[in-house]
Amino acid sequence: MNKESSYDTWFRLDNSGKIFPEVSNHRETNVFRVAVSLTEVIDKDLLQLAVDAILARYPMFKVKLKKGLFWSYFDYNSKPFHVEELKHYVCGEINPKKNNGYLFRVMYRNQDIVIEMFHSLADGAGVIMLLKAITYEYLVLTGKDIKPDNLVPTKNQRPSMEEYEDANSKFYDRKNRKHVPEQRAYRIKGTPLAEDLTGLISGNMSTQAMINLARENGLTLTEYFAALMMYTIYVTQIQYRGHIKSNQAPVKIFVPVNLRKHFPSNTLRNFSNFVKSNLVMTKDDITFEELKILVKEQFEKGMTKSELIRKMSENVAFEKNVFLRFTPYILKKYALKIGYNMLGMKLNTMSLTNIGKVDFPESMEPYVVDVTAAVYAGKYNTLNCSVISFRDRLKVTFTRSIVETTIEREFFRHFTNLGFDIEVESNYVEEY
Amino acid sequence: MKYCDKCKISINTNNNYCPLCQQVLEGEQNKGVIEKYPEYVSINRKIYPLTKRIILFVTIVSIIILLIINLATFNGKWWSLIPIGSTFYFWVLISVGVFSKQNIAFKLAFLTSLLIGLLVLIDQATLQEGWSYNYIMPLLLFTCNLAISGIILIKRIDYRDYILYLLTIVILSLVPIILLFVKVISEPWPAIMAFALAVSILLFIIFFFPKSIKDEIKKRFHA
Ligand SMILES: [Zn+2]
Repeated sequence: MNKESSYDTWFRLDNSGKIFPEVSNHRETNVFRVAVSLTEVIDKDLLQLAVDAILARYPMFKVKLKKGLFWSYFDYNSKPFHVEELKHYVCGEINPKKNNGYLFRVMYRNQDIVIEMFHSLADGAGVIMLLKAITYEYLVLTGKDIKPDNLVPTKNQRPSMEEYEDANSKFYDRKNRKHVPEQRAYRIKGTPLAEDLTGLISGNMSTQAMINLARENGLTLTEYFAALMMYTIYVTQIQYRGHIKSNQAPVKIFVPVNLRKHFPSNTLRNFSNFVKSNLVMTKDDITFEELKILVKEQFEKGMTKSELIRKMSENVAFEKNVFLRFTPYILKKYALKIGYNMLGMKLNTMSLTNIGKVDFPESMEPYVVDVTAAVYAGKYNTLNCSVISFRDRLKVTFTRSIVETTIEREFFRHFTNLGFDIEVESNYVEEY
Repeated sequence: MKYCDKCKISINTNNNYCPLCQQVLEGEQNKGVIEKYPEYVSINRKIYPLTKRIILFVTIVSIIILLIINLATFNGKWWSLIPIGSTFYFWVLISVGVFSKQNIAFKLAFLTSLLIGLLVLIDQATLQEGWSYNYIMPLLLFTCNLAISGIILIKRIDYRDYILYLLTIVILSLVPIILLFVKVISEPWPAIMAFALAVSILLFIIFFFPKSIKDEIKKRFHA
């Protein structure tokens, strides 16, 4: 790609990306993180070179957010991007003023390369691709003899238009876009951490052992974790307290679905949807067994093609609305903000993101120790969970905006009581 | 590796307790462990500086006193607008002109338009001599146009970011000439000067950067 044409580059925000700039702030940052640990300490200068090379190849990340008359958009960013040292913040707000306008950060610490990205720009699949590309380029620069094996996009490939497409609108079906009203979800209670700090606790488990355990129960890994999460929330927060008004809202676990696995698209931008488990848990005798059945049923129902298309179309419908479309951005901004504050973030108890297995080329694997994923925790979703795996190392990471760690504790004890080994990592936020 | 016998988890850390249950960890103290996550560094919270508060307080009090005196001795003229307007403009100049991180073309276009607006207001509120639109408005627009295009010519690299603001000022420069036609303005030369420069800049952009105007409009106005 020649230099001159990059200056012409600009992108519309994709359908799901449009909401985030309006509803994000220092508490609800809508930022998520992926990280890779390598076998050697990271060299800052080489990492900078690797990032520069990848940014030249992926113009969709080399952008800043600008306001237009009707919508905001991503415009080519001519300023340099700088890698930073990792600080204690976990998925903190991305303040464009501090970062030459970029909507993501690349950080390093010891053996780790960490990327944090604003959700407007891409979803988990997009950021994993970026992480793989940067890691590959970095390892090449350190002199490693590795090959991309078609698993990692390299700086030499040319960008294809497909990477930028807003795939949501491609599958839009105007006949299947009914809005299904939803009830406000149960909110996990706790003492807020000071200064918008975020606590982080990961547990490393064996991927194969976990998949086997889920299979023995006739479930997928995500279903098993979601059911266990519901059960843990129930036991630690609701059981025998069903008469309290705030406990009568349904517990809903929000699970993002990577639509690239269900619909043909190779976009790097947002192309995900969700399924939810949903249950009012006021009874005193709910068992883990019945939650497994419930979650499986609800997820299978939410994952049918027509239901996924309905959810996509429901979102796209609002931006196709002629009245809203031609409302000036300044007003639209407030409309989106009010709508989202009233509903959006209050509809989920917590989110459980399963990024899945990260495949590195065989020649790269010896240099990689593990990968981590995390999403921000805010005022409404006070606890969130992300799952990611590399070979036989499955990492479950909880991020929280509250002091208490009872849910994490019960979640991990469930597995250690079954005899599985867990190695825990924590940022020890309570020490701060 | 340390171990929590309650949670039955292992953890590699210098800390002494389990992050899940706060119980003391087992295993020998091994000081050499590099923590997975960095330690807390306190945030430099922006403290509203005392001097800024004092100046702001004095400003507001003087504005109120000026308004009261003006009202008490009211003779049909809002003369207090002159000091109040200047003070207000001073604040905007400092916050937008000096401290804001907006691009320079925006700053110039914004501060010029605001200054013109204020001066027209003051002119109207006092003697209504018309000096504001006869001289100040066209000459300020002329200078602003010259400044932004000068900056664009020198810093070619960012001209796409500046072009929208340049266009705004170019279009505003048509106001004096219209006012001249409807006979609000009596002094023709400043208005004609501003108009001539604006038209030349516009033609220059259309001839030499036709695509950038088209692109900028497409970006800013996509629905
Ligand atoms: Zn413990």
